[in-house]
Amino acid sequence: MTETLTELTAAKVVDARGAACPGPLLEAKKAMGGVAVGEVLELWSSDSQTKNDVQAWAAKVGHEFLGVETAEGYDRVLVRRGK
Amino acid sequence: MADHEKLVVMVTHGPEDPELATIPFAMAGAAVASDVDVVMGFQGEGCELVKKGVAETIHADEFAPLGELLETIKEMGGQLLVCSPCIKKRHLTEDDLVDGAEIVAAGRFVAEVTDATNSLVY
Repeated sequence: MTETLTELTAAKVVDARGAACPGPLLEAKKAMGGVAVGEVLELWSSDSQTKNDVQAWAAKVGHEFLGVETAEGYDRVLVRRGK
Repeated sequence: MADHEKLVVMVTHGPEDPELATIPFAMAGAAVASDVDVVMGFQGEGCELVKKGVAETIHADEFAPLGELLETIKEMGGQLLVCSPCIKKRHLTEDDLVDGAEIVAAGRFVAEVTDATNSLVY
């Protein structure tokens, strides 16, 4: 699973490191508008709750939460646009 | 069930309590990001938050700046309704409020809340 995530190429990368709640989620929402259906958005966040928040958000609005890669001091959260 | 979910967020705390002033904006922001229609209602001290120039001065620890949240909520279609008697009591007019804020009376608030999927009161 980790290899699969690592190999994914994101259509767009959003750096929301340093943003406080609910900033990373709002950044994801804004950025997803520039991603085609089926493509992947990669969100960087230093807020440890973002991965959980984005997972709930994706399920609600119809995107596919792919998972999280841990980087140095932040998470790379991967979501595939579903609609 | 309506075509769209709608959340009403009532705000009654002002700049005197940055955290409780910001939390409703954080919730409303998450709601618009989740494709939920949002109506924010401002009553009492909450009205101070939609006076021009006030939101930008509020930044509660560990939260996004209130001014940024307000702008995002407006950009994403959130409505801002402000209590008419609360505004009169403070000797304010629509010109004193941020663009997009609408002064309304109790009946409108009741209509919005009873029409909503859910409501939150802060």
